[in-house]
Amino acid sequence: MAALWGAFLGIVISVGASAAVFWGTHRLFGLVERRWAVVAAVAGVLVGAGAGAVAAGLRRCVAVEGSRNDECTPLLDGPSFGWINPTLMWIVIGAAVFGLAGAAVGVKRSPGGDRIATLQGRLRALTFVGPAMLFVALGLIVPLLRTIYLSLFDKAGESFRGLANYGEIFTNAQSVDLSGWAGIFGSRLFWGSLILFAIATLIAMSRGRSRGVRADVSASTVGIGLGGGLLLSFAVFANLRGTVMNNLWWVVAVTFLSTALGLLAAVIADRTKRESFAKSLIFLPMAISFVGAGIIWRFMYIARPPQKSQTGLLNAIWVWLGTLRPSSGGAWTAVAVLAAVTVLLTALCAFGVRRRQSAIAVGSAIAAIPLLWLIYRFLGPGVGGSALGPNDEPIAGTILFVQESPFNNVWLMVVLIWIQTGFAMVILSAAIKAVPADLIEAARVDGADERQVFFGVTLPTIVPTITVVMTAMIVLVMKVFDIVRVMTNGNFGTQVIANEMWQRSFTEFNLGLGSALAVVLFLGVVPVMGLNIRRMQRGE
Amino acid sequence: MSSAAETAAAEKAPGPAGSGSAQRGRRGPDRVGRAVYRFLRSIPAWVLWLMVIVWSVPTGSLFLNSFRHRDDQRASGWWTSFTEGNWTLENYADVLSSGEQTGGLWQALLNSFAIAIPATIIPIAIAALAAYAFAWIPFRGREWLFIGTVSLLALPNQVALLPLLQMFAGGAHWTLPGTEIVVTLFPDFSLAGTATAVWLTHTAFALPFAIFLLHNYISTLPGELFEAARIDGADHFTIFWRIVVPLSVPALAAFAIFQFLWTWNDYLIALTMLGAAGENYPATIKIASMAGEFGLREHLLSAGAFVQAGVPMLVFFFLQRFFVRGLLAGSVKS
Repeated sequence: MAALWGAFLGIVISVGASAAVFWGTHRLFGLVERRWAVVAAVAGVLVGAGAGAVAAGLRRCVAVEGSRNDECTPLLDGPSFGWINPTLMWIVIGAAVFGLAGAAVGVKRSPGGDRIATLQGRLRALTFVGPAMLFVALGLIVPLLRTIYLSLFDKAGESFRGLANYGEIFTNAQSVDLSGWAGIFGSRLFWGSLILFAIATLIAMSRGRSRGVRADVSASTVGIGLGGGLLLSFAVFANLRGTVMNNLWWVVAVTFLSTALGLLAAVIADRTKRESFAKSLIFLPMAISFVGAGIIWRFMYIARPPQKSQTGLLNAIWVWLGTLRPSSGGAWTAVAVLAAVTVLLTALCAFGVRRRQSAIAVGSAIAAIPLLWLIYRFLGPGVGGSALGPNDEPIAGTILFVQESPFNNVWLMVVLIWIQTGFAMVILSAAIKAVPADLIEAARVDGADERQVFFGVTLPTIVPTITVVMTAMIVLVMKVFDIVRVMTNGNFGTQVIANEMWQRSFTEFNLGLGSALAVVLFLGVVPVMGLNIRRMQRGE
Repeated sequence: MSSAAETAAAEKAPGPAGSGSAQRGRRGPDRVGRAVYRFLRSIPAWVLWLMVIVWSVPTGSLFLNSFRHRDDQRASGWWTSFTEGNWTLENYADVLSSGEQTGGLWQALLNSFAIAIPATIIPIAIAALAAYAFAWIPFRGREWLFIGTVSLLALPNQVALLPLLQMFAGGAHWTLPGTEIVVTLFPDFSLAGTATAVWLTHTAFALPFAIFLLHNYISTLPGELFEAARIDGADHFTIFWRIVVPLSVPALAAFAIFQFLWTWNDYLIALTMLGAAGENYPATIKIASMAGEFGLREHLLSAGAFVQAGVPMLVFFFLQRFFVRGLLAGSVKS
């Protein structure tokens, strides 16, 4: 309870004091016109008190052999009895001297009418903006500059090292390890991305032929191309390892997937009954802390020894799938269900061909491919978690979601995607609803169908909002910390810059390296800051 | 808007087959085709509800687990409790009370309030004043000062943590070059380890966003209102207090809720500023450390996480409108 009372007292004192100071200065500046001398005197008192405080704080410090702390003696001394101490005395002296001087100057000379009006205006603005600027300067700007300064120094912040800390970050195999580059070309993700790129190119070219141009870029081309790009990035980041690479992976994957899923949910919800109910449930994770989310997903990812029953949902499903084998009979049910769905899809494909609806025909054909693959897996090598025991008997196989590098990174990203999708959805949903109705109406009158309205009108109109969402997300993902710290603390190849920075700075007290890591994070968001500034300048 | 789209789509049924349906219209009713199209059009809704389920299951499973006995939690998954029953509130009682093998989360919740409430109120007061000045008091350099402040929105907390902690722990000192004289720029108030250090840091980091959000709102208030008040002899202070604050309540509430959730859920700043001062830890640090020990108290973790998430969830369910408004500010131009 004491903490709460302390907080309450803190609020009352600081709000009361700020209000008093604010009101006082406000009244004081009202006197500028009539009682210039009073204003000058009060200004003198304030400056003098400050100068007195600084003067009382002056110390002469001498390094002591064998001790980390210097020995300091105050330069100015004073009496010290009861509640009177030297600091207080020097503040009073400074205030008195400067206050009198201010009053004297103020009585002798006062600025003329025009200048007084501008002065008053500026002082007024200062009372309003001053507190905020003081906090921003002391809490953000000065610390930022000091972090940059410290990043050029050694562990203890004493001897200058130049850019050596940065060199250490970028040449260290822990942070950037490119040695696995050859693995990129061996990964299935890489070849999958190439196939997607090829499909996108083919679609663009065939559309282009029917329109008489070389290539016609459509929504499906862009979509498939983006999917290919995502696969390619996964192939790259799964093989080029290290802290910095992990961070880039987070930024690419979380930003892209959250925005895409959020857009999907927003678009569908816009034309669904009970929209707000569905949206609140997807949005709910936004209210949960990153720490809480990490714990929630840890329960999903639990992997227990294969002999025991699984308590984590994902591994339970995985292991259950593994038990569906032709020998145990479960596979036949699965195959029957899958085959029935495949037959329906084939019928749908035929329907699409007959009606000349290429989207339906191609879509159902594509949907059938994974089903056929699953049927093959069920009949042959099996689906899900199963392994062979020492005597060739099938036993459960679990996925170590959190431990198995490099894809444990993806499972950690899932946590943030789970949180951020709601954010993207809410903002994009509002943007979709803000698309002018007459624009959509005009497109409909011109004979556009739902799909054309979406890709031709809605999507182009909300592109600026998508950019805003993605930049906000990049800034947030760049400094991801809580999730990694709670789930792995950077072990198993999941280290990210923010967690590295925290460990270096606050457990090892390596000021130089910790600061340099913070500056790297800062440099990462500088382009976003520039973009925001440009956007604001255009907006004003 | 959505209902308008639905009616338009209904009139145009069977939707995607715009031109095809016109041709078939001559062949009479086409029941199979219509059924197929109806099915196809319902797919997006199924996708959405599937997403809703996938998004809710993690939270739901934690919720169910928090009511299960320790041995049950260890032996089987939460889905078995539908058939087995055997619920308990023990975990919640244990996690709240303080002791060796319990959570001590009650104290942590109070600490969370002690951090989140000042860290919400103080930035609002400071930012509202600044936002009013940036919107309605003309002064030289206003434009770039505003843009400069708001551009700090993207600043990662990490860049300021180390110097701020040093400042709170020992003050800021500067040795005059070439001498042995040290100037104290910021006295040592021994703030490190106290809630004050945490909410001061939160205040500094909240200001750019608060000023941005409130400025967006306050600058759209009708200028004639202020003009009229000024003619009646009101000064900026009166205008701010009597006109701007009452009219800005929606924006103030939006920011307050946003900031409260943010500070309540914060882990990084509290962890850095409180250091080893365990008696001041907020709930996030408490549950994170429970998660880190993999030991005796693991069965309390789900209840603990839910207690910590309970307050933001309540805020979220009852005040979602304001929260969304805070998020939307500045990103969507309507």
